[in-house]
Amino acid sequence: MGEVLSELSKDSFGRIGLGVFSLFLLLALVSPLITGDPMLHSTSVLNPPSSEHMLGTNDVGQDIWSRLIRGVRTSILVAVGVGILTTLIGAIVGVSAGLIGGIYDEVLMRIVDALLAIPAIVVLILIASFLRPTLWTLILLISILHWQGGARIMRAQTLSLKERAYISAARAFGAGGGYLILKHVMPGLGPILISSFIYSARMAVFMEAGLAFIGIADPTTVSWGAMMHHALKFYYLPVWKWWLLPPGAALSLLILSFTFLGYSLERIIEPRLRNA
Amino acid sequence: MRVKAVNYGVAFLAILFLNFLLPRLMPGDPLMAIYGEEALLQMTPQLKAHLLERFGLDKPIWKQFLIYLSSLMRGDLGYSYYRNAPVSKVILSHLPWTLLLVGTALILSAILGVIAGIESGWRRGRSLDRALLVGMMSTSGFPSFFVGVLLLLFFGVILGVLPLQGAKTAYSDLSGLSLALDILRHLALPLATLVVLFTSANYLLTRNTMVMTLGEPFILTAKAKGLTEARVRYVHAGRNSLLPVLTSTGVQFGTRIVAGALFVEVVFSYPGMGGLIYNSILMRDYPVLQGCALMVTALVLTANFIVDLLYVKLDPRVRGDG
Repeated sequence: MGEVLSELSKDSFGRIGLGVFSLFLLLALVSPLITGDPMLHSTSVLNPPSSEHMLGTNDVGQDIWSRLIRGVRTSILVAVGVGILTTLIGAIVGVSAGLIGGIYDEVLMRIVDALLAIPAIVVLILIASFLRPTLWTLILLISILHWQGGARIMRAQTLSLKERAYISAARAFGAGGGYLILKHVMPGLGPILISSFIYSARMAVFMEAGLAFIGIADPTTVSWGAMMHHALKFYYLPVWKWWLLPPGAALSLLILSFTFLGYSLERIIEPRLRNA
Repeated sequence: MRVKAVNYGVAFLAILFLNFLLPRLMPGDPLMAIYGEEALLQMTPQLKAHLLERFGLDKPIWKQFLIYLSSLMRGDLGYSYYRNAPVSKVILSHLPWTLLLVGTALILSAILGVIAGIESGWRRGRSLDRALLVGMMSTSGFPSFFVGVLLLLFFGVILGVLPLQGAKTAYSDLSGLSLALDILRHLALPLATLVVLFTSANYLLTRNTMVMTLGEPFILTAKAKGLTEARVRYVHAGRNSLLPVLTSTGVQFGTRIVAGALFVEVVFSYPGMGGLIYNSILMRDYPVLQGCALMVTALVLTANFIVDLLYVKLDPRVRGDG
């Protein structure tokens, strides 16, 4: 973990990615201190930016700045939640399939392949439009639909680790299954676990915002996608400058930080791409 | 190939089950889950009785599934009360626009992305490569709907040179060339959005493969034989870089391409499948939504299968296994 971090900060893409992501994390933590109530309605609607409302107000008189900054929390929560869940499920399925093998492996990989073939976004839209999930249910739903890619990669890595000499040596000295997994397999999976986390986090942020953008959102959470959904209806007014662009830019910046981190990690995992 | 076909079959069945089960798992009246509250309030008792009969909603669940399957076999995807038309007809009237938009975008972005990737990989580390890499990576990070919004604001609102929404001018009696031009003008912005997005993905893949391929011994051999630079670049290294682009196009059909088209159509109110799905979500027109899910899944799985077949043709190494 620490190794990967120091490796990431050696590369300019990795440094930018880490920097931007840390900034968003910080914002998510301190957001209540620098904003008002993002839900508070008022009669001053569609106001331009002023000293009172830094980014003006929306069509129901809510302060756009407060909503923009609170939106960081939603996105970060989705990113971290889905990142952890998918990586966890992927690791459990992938590592166990790789180590146990046999019919167990066969059955699990069948399920993984079928899931990989399904267009997840379609299923997500279908289920979400029926269930109208809260943010937590949505995190669960996105995770259930997106662990399969990571599981495949982790199984492949486990299989390759299994054949390495130091693992055979440990086994020859009588190491048990649990010990092997914790001491030898997990560290070997490190960069792949982190890469799976980043990939999922990026996809999840996009999915949550995208669903909210097409009108599937929990009305009690503040979401950048939902902000854009409402702001786009008023594109003929100048309000897009402070209502539509800021959440779009924030979303892009957060996704971009994951893209940069992922690209940087890819080069750590695949040394042939280094110094490119 | 057979294994793959089985996977696709299982995937399709899963969507079928989901479509069948979702409205029936919802609490309350299944008719309400299928048609929504408003439609249900407007229904006459006779119609309700007729629908109960038609779906067999008073019968055991396995019988309902058989009824569902047999009506699907007849091409009956249900009826949209919101649109007052059979779902299959609604979908068929929207599908051509999506095929036009996505098909054109896929072809253009493959050409642009592969050429840019090959040139960039060849010049690895030099200024053109650096600029392209940073530029493409930044655009690949942008969410599709935001790229669409930016283009819409710039060309549609600020410059006012291109139409903001729809696929053709409404209520106009254009025909022939002027109709074609009108359609192209409306296609320009959504198409540009998709091309920008898909190109960057193709570029990044091609460049990575180029960089790795250029380190292979056969490239050195080709250079040593005295072949021209362009020949080594495109025929020897470039051809190898096509495979990952093809694979990813297949793999990404499910998420990137469908999601991209969906969101971009929503931004530009384009009347394709994405626009239809969007309206159905807002209107809670569940029969159409379910029909769309089934249709899109079928299209995605077919596209994947075609890519698999093409892959075997292009790469002799995978012939025989898998």
